[in-house]
Amino acid sequence: MNKKIGVYICHCGGNISDYVDVEKVRQSVESEAGVLLSKTTLFACADSNQQEMVDDIKDQHLDGIVVASCSPKLHLLTFRAVAERAGLNKYNYVHANIREQGSWAHSDNKPGATEKAIKLVKSAIAKVRNAEALEPVKVESVKAVAVIGAGVAGMRAAIELAEAGSEVFLIEREFFVGGRVSQWDDLCITPETGKELVTRLYDEVMKHKHVTLFTGAELAEYSGSVGNFSLKVKVTPRHFKLQCDPGALKKAIEVCPVEVPDEFNFNITMRKAIYHNYPSEYPQLPAIDMKNCTRCGACEKVCDSIDLSQKEEIINLKVGSVLVATGFDPYEPKPGEFGYGEMDNVVTLPQFKRIVHYCVDKLTYKGKEIKNIAYIYCVGSRQVDGENKYCSRYCCTSNIHTAITVKKKYKNIHNFHFNRGIRTYGKAEVWYDESSRLGDIYLQSFEHDPPVVENRNGQTIVKIKDVLTADKELEVVADLVVLVTGMVPRKDNSIGSLLKIPRGRDKFFNEIHMKLRPVETVIDGVTIAGAGQGPKNIMESMNSALAAATKSFSLVASGALELEPTVAKVDTSACSWCGKCEEACPFSAIDRVGQNGNSIAHVNASVCKGCGMCLPVCPENALDLIGLSDVDMESMIDALIPNI
Amino acid sequence: MARINPEFSDELKKYGAFDANACYNCGNCTAVCTLSDEDNSFPRKMVRYSVLGLEGEIQASLDPWLCYYCGECSTTCPREANPGELMMSLRRWLTAQYDWTGFSGLLYKSLGASVTGFLVLALAVIAFGFSMDFRMADLLHYGHYFEMGAIALVASVILLPNIIHMWYQTVRKPGTEAGLKTYFTCLRDLLVHMFTQKRALGCDDNQFRWFEHFILVLGYLSLLFTTVFLDWFSTQSMFIIVLGYFESAVIFVVTFDFVRRRIQKDHEISKHSHSSDWFFVVWLFLMGLFSFLVRLFIDLNVLQQNMWLFMLQLIVLVQWALLIVPFGKWTHFLYRSFAMYFQEIKLAAN
Repeated sequence: MNKKIGVYICHCGGNISDYVDVEKVRQSVESEAGVLLSKTTLFACADSNQQEMVDDIKDQHLDGIVVASCSPKLHLLTFRAVAERAGLNKYNYVHANIREQGSWAHSDNKPGATEKAIKLVKSAIAKVRNAEALEPVKVESVKAVAVIGAGVAGMRAAIELAEAGSEVFLIEREFFVGGRVSQWDDLCITPETGKELVTRLYDEVMKHKHVTLFTGAELAEYSGSVGNFSLKVKVTPRHFKLQCDPGALKKAIEVCPVEVPDEFNFNITMRKAIYHNYPSEYPQLPAIDMKNCTRCGACEKVCDSIDLSQKEEIINLKVGSVLVATGFDPYEPKPGEFGYGEMDNVVTLPQFKRIVHYCVDKLTYKGKEIKNIAYIYCVGSRQVDGENKYCSRYCCTSNIHTAITVKKKYKNIHNFHFNRGIRTYGKAEVWYDESSRLGDIYLQSFEHDPPVVENRNGQTIVKIKDVLTADKELEVVADLVVLVTGMVPRKDNSIGSLLKIPRGRDKFFNEIHMKLRPVETVIDGVTIAGAGQGPKNIMESMNSALAAATKSFSLVASGALELEPTVAKVDTSACSWCGKCEEACPFSAIDRVGQNGNSIAHVNASVCKGCGMCLPVCPENALDLIGLSDVDMESMIDALIPNI
Repeated sequence: MARINPEFSDELKKYGAFDANACYNCGNCTAVCTLSDEDNSFPRKMVRYSVLGLEGEIQASLDPWLCYYCGECSTTCPREANPGELMMSLRRWLTAQYDWTGFSGLLYKSLGASVTGFLVLALAVIAFGFSMDFRMADLLHYGHYFEMGAIALVASVILLPNIIHMWYQTVRKPGTEAGLKTYFTCLRDLLVHMFTQKRALGCDDNQFRWFEHFILVLGYLSLLFTTVFLDWFSTQSMFIIVLGYFESAVIFVVTFDFVRRRIQKDHEISKHSHSSDWFFVVWLFLMGLFSFLVRLFIDLNVLQQNMWLFMLQLIVLVQWALLIVPFGKWTHFLYRSFAMYFQEIKLAAN
């Protein structure tokens, strides 16, 4: 209790001192126990004033300081750095917020604001009296990263990580790499196809010795914490030997009696149980879909490479970080949504792209030639009453680009865009321009008055009250209605649940801070990239993949990690293991260990976030938070309300 | 409920429209237009109707005639969709729609048809000259009769039914109920706009354009009167002779300036010239010039030896009277003033 404490009360120009009598605050706290020095300062954060504090700490041998100023969100780190520069442990510095919680909040009541400021500073002084010097928790880190999902984001991240010098395990659930992008032909702005992009990335991935690609592989179990995760990966066999004769393969596909809807083509075509999605797909070895295979053995008779005896494998991996790039699902319209599922000429944009892929010189669907195409935008996105409030970002551009492709590829096409405002943001604006110059017609409605698709005398009519024509009711006879569907999170959230990655209101994976920490999750060591985090185009997915790769690499690069010391600790003599803390912990940081024949709780310091959820549930009061202990809290409360 | 017709914009391009589809509905064109107001908001609405191919709505609208083409909309259009020229093309298209004979549309859309028409009439006049042995007195006589006959015929058979058709499309069909008294009281507007083109003064560009056009109209109408009713080519009255010289000089001087501007393309309004625009200004120029020269040759007593000049004058006159007046750009003189008239009636009736 014989700390020498320095207290600085900041004017913040006039932001604080216009409402709070800072001199009165100083006078009220100068005689508090332990306060050796108290000053007011015009701008505590100014360089010269920071230097003055450093000098004070050194000259007066202060061992605790309080700065009463703005929110700690703004300058906590600034003054922690001041403490460190002066040779004082940064946890011996306590921040008091008398601006956001004082002058700004109570600008109508100056005496009240001053009184509150005095109490806030006193409570900070109470805390600094108990403060202890803390050192970061040091853990070892395995120099390897698991990348989950070998779409374009995952492959790009894997390449980056390998180039930086990390071991990479690229884990893909499907038998083929490329994800959604391999389902797309011509891409926007850059004149290349999705398949070309996938091929380039795949070739690069394969070049790196330090990348190991698993296909047909799923993360089954996971344990450990940042720097030291243990993963169990379940690998489903392709049932093919490594070399495969193309002629024999063709025969094997022919003789396979099983036909199922081809998900790669969004069920507009059928495929066999032996399949590859397109001829040059990577890895170039086909696979057998054992969910549908009847094991009739017909294929084995015509193709030597087939081996139905291959077994599932479990592979154990040790990694320092996990990068999740599991992508999105296209929105599946509800039955009857704009005629989907009820009228046979209503398709989604992903389906339409596949239709265009297969129609060479004449656009036909279900045997009928298509001339007039009505595109309905924002299906499954920007829902006012539905769940998907967000804009899916890619659809306007993607659809307009597809409409232009269709117009150039086939003769006499008329495109009608029933939109809610076109968002071909950034460089994609040129496509909107080109499409309208090619004669595409844009009709717009608001969310409460969407277009209506109806069948009238065998014709499909799309009606709209067009806001661009003074709400005039207009209609188009459409041969095909394309629902421009947005992105939704993957239906299968098993990875998210396993890793406990929190999801936002939109159900996509959530980052810690959208702007400042865009690829980290609250699970230390788990980063996110690509459209699994929210709708993104390819360029944005690449950006996030590179950012996440860098972030993951920073965790494994040096082989060791320093973590915040402000975590929970167990009073081993008081704990008698009831398990309540384990249940309450949102981060699985607490587990049961044995001690002298008894079970007690153990906090994994590298996983614990110091959230404090375990404290109130403990019946023995055996848990405490380092840096914010019961003693700290109680002393602060006493300072705030001394009369109770 | 209106059905969209994407083919319409292709049709309109044949009348001179450019890239109306490039429009992204910002409305700058309407915002900068000094003639557009709450009752008649244009040109954006017309651009939109054209893109959507709402022919019925365009036919029922008077807006194209209420635009006097300063070109501000085209210069400010961020997408270079050229709304000014679109309005011009709509006027051509509407002219073709009002015309019951269908010739207007044919001549606007096909330069070949126009040239053929002009050639046929020229040959007919030459053949007529042959049959008269190019006798000066007879030709002057019949030329004069032709003028009177053509005016009567074109006015009664073509122009009047077309005006009635315009009235039906723009006033009657949209459901305007106006009493005879309204029609009568609004007549004043018809006459004012017909003879002054007062509305063009509302355009923000050079008022000199209005002045040139104004004296051209006065010059043209009075020369018409002077030749048809005062028989300029045969009169002995010094006053009438000088008057005719003056009027024909006004016509060729002003139209010379119009032609110069269309060649130099120094203003938005003269940047885009459809063949019908060229026919109109060049033929008007030739009419003024040839009339002037014919009367000069008469006064110098050399016309007898130079009947080629009179034949040229007659060819130009016949082509003008039988092609340009009933089916070509001349009709804007009527449709513009009647549009103002119908507009006043509609406002009065509502």
